[in-house]
This record gives sequence, structure tokens and C-alpha cells, in this order.
Amino acid sequence: MQLDDAAAVAQARAGDEDAFRVLVERHGRGIYRLAYRMTGKPEDAEDVVQETFVRAFKQLARFEERSNFSTWLYRIGFNCAIDYMRARPHRESPETMDVLEGRSQPTGQTPSMDDLVYAGQISARVQAALVGLTEQERAAFLMRHYHGCSIDEIGEELGLKTNAAKHAVFRAVKKMRVALRPFVDARVESVAE
Amino acid sequence: MNDVGRIARLKGARHDVTWHPTEDDLVLHFYEESSREEHARVGSHLETCAPCRASWLDLCDTLRLVDESTAPEPSEGFERVLWARLQPALPKPRAPWWSVAGLLPIAAAAAAAVVIGIVVGPRAWPWHRPAPTAPAAAAKSETAARERVLRAALGEHLETTQTLLVELMNAPDADVSGGSEDLTFVRTTAGELLSSGRLYRVTARQNGDVQFTRILDDLEPVLVDVAHAPEKMDRHDLQSLRTRIDDASLLFKVRAMSNEIRDLEKKSAISE
Repeated sequence: MQLDDAAAVAQARAGDEDAFRVLVERHGRGIYRLAYRMTGKPEDAEDVVQETFVRAFKQLARFEERSNFSTWLYRIGFNCAIDYMRARPHRESPETMDVLEGRSQPTGQTPSMDDLVYAGQISARVQAALVGLTEQERAAFLMRHYHGCSIDEIGEELGLKTNAAKHAVFRAVKKMRVALRPFVDARVESVAE
Repeated sequence: MNDVGRIARLKGARHDVTWHPTEDDLVLHFYEESSREEHARVGSHLETCAPCRASWLDLCDTLRLVDESTAPEPSEGFERVLWARLQPALPKPRAPWWSVAGLLPIAAAAAAAVVIGIVVGPRAWPWHRPAPTAPAAAAKSETAARERVLRAALGEHLETTQTLLVELMNAPDADVSGGSEDLTFVRTTAGELLSSGRLYRVTARQNGDVQFTRILDDLEPVLVDVAHAPEKMDRHDLQSLRTRIDDASLLFKVRAMSNEIRDLEKKSAISE
């Protein structure tokens, strides 16, 4: 019978690596997606996933059983990703916000809806927009948008005051709107036609 | 604008037809982060104000696009590769030496398996069990692999102990080496053997393995003295250690035990 998270955590705490493996296999892909959105690179995401689970393993004793393991793990994942990005040498983002903003200017070549049906294109654009955010904005936005963390929780996790966390989300949304403007406009136009 | 200002502005907005929610207000509205009162006011405003509604729908469209985006899936076999990378990186628990509870299962199993084997004899060693029946066959290779690891672990422990004892017994005479003997390496090794030996000893005792427990009991005070010896051990102390090792036939006993393990490994290799 498949262990649920709580049972697997309890066994892993007692040193059962097989139980911990159950948790790794169950949540590994989700953490990978989070890490990819945070780092923008598959190889970086893999490193973050590994570090996330190492940290989780070390901190299992501190995990409160009444809490949701997935939520707890994702928070570790966010922190690992932030630490990872801070630790690595600064490098140019694949898509800076300047580039994205430049692309969003009217060019007379608004992508047609045909172009936009490709989910991969939207995903790539969203990912590029995410990479254009600061680490703090990206983390705050992802925590809020994908993981439903409240502003207070985001502040707590990122070591920010509530107002600062809120403004990190505001800035992130503004930048996402700029970056995704051509796609939104194209969609609106296609609906209007 | 801070929250107090925002609320005051929203309260005033009830009668202020020129009031419109800001983009930030709409973001909070979208994420339902505003108070119930704020949420209701922004909601009712959006019903009546076309420009604000357009802005709201634009925001919703943008965030819907974000929802539609997908992060790439890792490759097939991701979990297997992840675990292969992860397992060696997992910290091994540092339990008190007197507690077996903190041992990783494999380490505990290793000690237990070896100890049980020594107590009860070869027939009790897991690698001398009768061939598994068909339903148990699936677990056979995994068990066999684990047992190989266990045997290797204990064999290594005994081999290292033996090497350390030989080093001590054959160390250059203190007089020859200038009045004292540098035992840095031996001290470090003794400390490591002390930790692992204590775990094996606890398990051996729990399993009633008198022979193995006794050897480890005899070894421990020697290892303690070596581990805590000064960097340069004088002739008298070194000779005292040698005498204790000799009197207790420690080297002989460890060698015998080590050989026994090695023989069992050979037999196991042949049968596999």
C-alpha cells in the first residue's frame, strides 16, 4: 500500500530512506517545476531540486505533523532556489525586462492567434517574463500565483515586511502585464473578430 | 499607499464618483487579499465603471495566460536519476553512540545481520538461508545486494582495526624516533573506529553475541586511549598500550574475526 505523506514523513524521520524516497518520487516533479520557474534553466532546476530534498531531509525533525508536507516542502524549495540564484555568479537573464518591454511595443506585427495557439510559445514567454523579474519579485509572484501563499506568508518566507511583500507582488504583476501584452492583445482581438 | 490610507480611500469612495481602484487594488482584488469590505467595494465599482472593468479584464487575461503556461516536464526516469543523485548526498543521522535508533536502517541491519551470524553460526547468516521460494524471489537480489554491503562494512571495520593494532605494535621504538612517537594518523583512525565500534557493540549485545561483544569491549578502552593520546606518545605509554593489546590477544582475536567474515564473503560469492 502506498504511504501517504504523513506516514512517509514519520518513517523517514526514523531514518527510513525508502520512506523518504516515496516523498521524493511523489513531489520531485512539482519541485522541479517550481525550481525551473525560479531559475529558468533545467540544469539549475535539477540542482535546486536536489538541495531542496537534502534540506528537507535534514529538517524533517522540525516539520510539524499537523502541517501540510507539500506546502512545507515547497517553501524549502523556494528558499533553495533563492539561495541558489544568489550564490551563483551574476549573469545576464535570457530575457531582460528591457527586451521584453521593447517587444511589447506596437510593431504592427501583433502575433496572430494562430501563432498563439501553441501553448509552448505562451509558456516560453511567461518563463521569459518570470526570468525578467528580480529574484524577490519572482519568488513572491510564484508563491502567490501558483502556490496560493498569502501576502503574510510570502513576507514571512522571504523575510519581508507585509507591505514589502505586497509591493513585490505588485511589481511582478506589472512586469508580467508588460511582458505579456502582445499575447493578451492578440487574444482580445481574436475574440472580437 | 499604506493599508490605512487605502481603506480610508475606499471608505470615502462610497460617495466619491471620481474614485477608481488602482492597478494594485485590482491585483489585491484578484488574489482576494483585500478585506471583505474592500473586496465588495471594488467588485461593485467594477460593475458600473467600464474603464476599470476593462482594466480588470486585462489583468485577468494576463494572469490567465500565466495559468496556461506550463513548466517543462523533466525527462522520463527523472525520479530514478534524482534519487540516485540524492541518496549519497543525504546526511547520515548522527545518533548518540549508545542508541541504535539513530542508525540508518542499512547500518543497523548490517550490524545486526553480522552479529546474529556470529552468535548463532553460519546457518543463521542471511546469506546462508535456504533458497527463497518463488514469492520471495523478487526480493532476493535486493537482499543479496544489501547483505554484500553489510558484509563489506563489517569486514572493513575489522580490517581497519587490525591495521591500527599492527601500526601500534610495530611503531618504531620511541628511543629510536627521538623520544616520542607521532600517532596523529592512528589517533584519528582510532576515533573513527571507536564510533562505529560502539554501534556494532550495542547491536551485538542486543543480539546476545557474547564473543563479538567481548572483543569490542576489550578494544574500546584501547581505542579510547589512542584516540585521546597526545600527539607525541612517550615510550612508557606506548609500551603500556602494547602490553594491553598483547595481553588481551586483541590482534589475534580481531584477525580471527576478520578472517571469518572474509571466508563468509568468499562462500557467499561462490554460492551467488
